Amino acid sequence: MNRFNFPDLGIGVGLRTVHFSHILGSQPDVDWFEALSENYMDTGGRPRYVLEKVAEQYPIVLHGVSLSIGGTDPLDFDYLRKLKSLARTVNARWISDHLCWTGVSGRNVHDLLPMPYNAESLRHTAERVRVVSDFLETPLVVENPSSYVEFATSTMTEWDFLAALAEQSDCGLLLDVNNIYVSSFNHGFDPNVYVDAIPADRVVQVHLAGHQNHGTHIIDTHNDFVIDEVWKLYGRACGRTGDVSTLLEWDADIPDFPTVHAEARKASAFRSEGSRESGAGGRKTADLRSPTPDSRPYSEGPYAAV
Amino acid sequence: MPQSDVALAPLQEWMQAVVTHPSDVYEAADAADIAVDDVILPSQTLQPIQRVGIYHGMYMLRMIEALTVDYAAVAQFLGEHHFEHLVRDYVQQFPSRSYTFNRLGDSLPAYIASSSMQRRTFLRDLAKLELAMTHVFDEAEAEPLPANAIASIAPEEVADARIIPIPALRLLALDYDANDAFQAFRDDRPMKPRRRKTYLAVHRRDYGVYRMPLTREAFVFLEALVARETIGSAIETFHRRLRRFPAQSELFTWFRDWSAAGLFTAIEVE
Repeated sequence: MNRFNFPDLGIGVGLRTVHFSHILGSQPDVDWFEALSENYMDTGGRPRYVLEKVAEQYPIVLHGVSLSIGGTDPLDFDYLRKLKSLARTVNARWISDHLCWTGVSGRNVHDLLPMPYNAESLRHTAERVRVVSDFLETPLVVENPSSYVEFATSTMTEWDFLAALAEQSDCGLLLDVNNIYVSSFNHGFDPNVYVDAIPADRVVQVHLAGHQNHGTHIIDTHNDFVIDEVWKLYGRACGRTGDVSTLLEWDADIPDFPTVHAEARKASAFRSEGSRESGAGGRKTADLRSPTPDSRPYSEGPYAAV
Repeated sequence: MPQSDVALAPLQEWMQAVVTHPSDVYEAADAADIAVDDVILPSQTLQPIQRVGIYHGMYMLRMIEALTVDYAAVAQFLGEHHFEHLVRDYVQQFPSRSYTFNRLGDSLPAYIASSSMQRRTFLRDLAKLELAMTHVFDEAEAEPLPANAIASIAPEEVADARIIPIPALRLLALDYDANDAFQAFRDDRPMKPRRRKTYLAVHRRDYGVYRMPLTREAFVFLEALVARETIGSAIETFHRRLRRFPAQSELFTWFRDWSAAGLFTAIEVE
C-alpha cells in the first residue's frame, strides 16, 4: 500500500472512444478505467455521457496531458477548476499528469516535452505540484515521461529528480515502466537502476504500453503489445511496490477491446491472487447499454440526404 | 562544449521555437538564438539535432492529425499534400492556445476565406459546416421541450414568449451547398462544389449530430428565435427582412418540425 492510502484498483484499461459501444454493451469485467482528462473536460456531448455512465459502474482515474506542471507559464486555474469539477463528477480515485511541460508563452504544443533535471527545475516544479495538489485537494500523481533528448543543463538523473520532487512536494508517483524502458534505450541507462531508486511507497499506479523501436531510438507510440523486457521491469517494480493499480495504455492502431483487455490481464501473472482491495474496483450490475450512437464520426439524421 | 547555464524559461522558449518551426529542424535550429549542441546532449546513436528533430517531426504530425479529424471533408477535397500545406500555414498564424485540441480549428474557416486558395469560398463553407458539427458535438446537453409544449402556450402569451434553443444548435447561411458536398463525402462520392445559397440547422439529438436543411424563410425566423427574440419580435424581424408575414401554416410546420427535432429546451414568457 502506498503512503496516500490510494487503493489497489487492480488491472485497468484506458477508456477510448473506439471501445465505447463495447463497454456500454458488454460491461466487460475490467477492474477500472483511466480517462484522459482533457477529452472530457470541455464537452457535454457523447464522450462525457459515456464517461459518466462508465463511472457509475467502474472506478475512474483521471490522467491528464496538458497540466504542464514543469512549464514556466503561470498555472492555468481555469483548467484546474474544470479538472476538479470533472474529478468530483466521476468520483475520480486520483488525478495524474506527466513530469513535463507542454508549451510556453500561451501556446500548447500538445506534446509531453522533457525537463532538464537540475536544482532550478526541481524547485520550480515542486512548488507548482504543491499548488496544484492544494487546489485539487488531493495529492497530484506525477508520471515519469518518455523522452528523446537530454539537456546539458541537467545535473541529476531522472529517477533522482523524481524522488526529490515526490519528497519536496509530497506527490504520488505514476510509474510508467514502458517510459522507463524507452528512455533507458534512448539515453543509455540501466532501467533496473531507475526502478530500484524510486520511492516505492509513493507509487500509486503503474502504466504499461507498447512502443516502436527504430533501431537508433524508441518512440513511445502506445500502439502495440507490451514487450517482454517491459513486463520484466513491471515485475521488478511490483516486487518493490507490492500489488499496485496497473493500467495498459493503447492509443494508436487500437485493436478491439477484448484484445486490449487480454493484454492488460497479463499483468495478473505478476500480482498475488485476490490482492485487489475489497470494494476498490470491479463493476456494479446496472445496465450500461444505450441505444445512442457513438462519438465521431457523426451519426446521420433523416435530414442528411437532401 | 555544451553550456550549462541556460535557465528553464529561455530553454523552454528555445525548444518550443525549434519544435514548432514550419521548416525542417535544421532551418529551425539555424533560426534559433541558442545552438542545439549547447543545450542538447548527443546519444550513442543520434546527434543533438536528430534528437530534437524527433519532437519537431511529431509536432506537425499531431497538428495535421487533429485537424484532419475535425475537417475530414476539407482534407479529402484538398488531398493530403494541399491539406498538410494548409495546416502548416494555419498553425503558424493560429497555434493552439488551449489545453484541448478541440479549439485548434476554430479559426480555419476564416483563415481559408482570407487566403488566396483556389475554391476558397466553397472550402470556407465546407469548413464552416464541419466546425459547426464539432461545436454541436461538444456542446452542453439540455433536455428538449416536449413536442406539444409550444402548441400549449396560451394564445394571449404567444407573442411575448421566448423559445430557448438547446446549446447544441448552430445555424449556417452558406454561399455553396456544403451540405450536399459533405453528404457526398460521407457516401464516398466525389464532392462537387455547387454555388447555391443554402441554409442549415446543425443540431444534436440523443448525442447524434444532424444537419437539417432550411428554407431561407425558416432560417430567418429560426435565427431570430435563436437570438432570443420573442415570437412576436421574430415575426416582425421576418416581415422586415422578407417583406411579408409568415403564414400560419408555415409557423405551424416549423414549430412542429423543430420541436420534433428537439431544437428547443425552454419557454419563457415575459
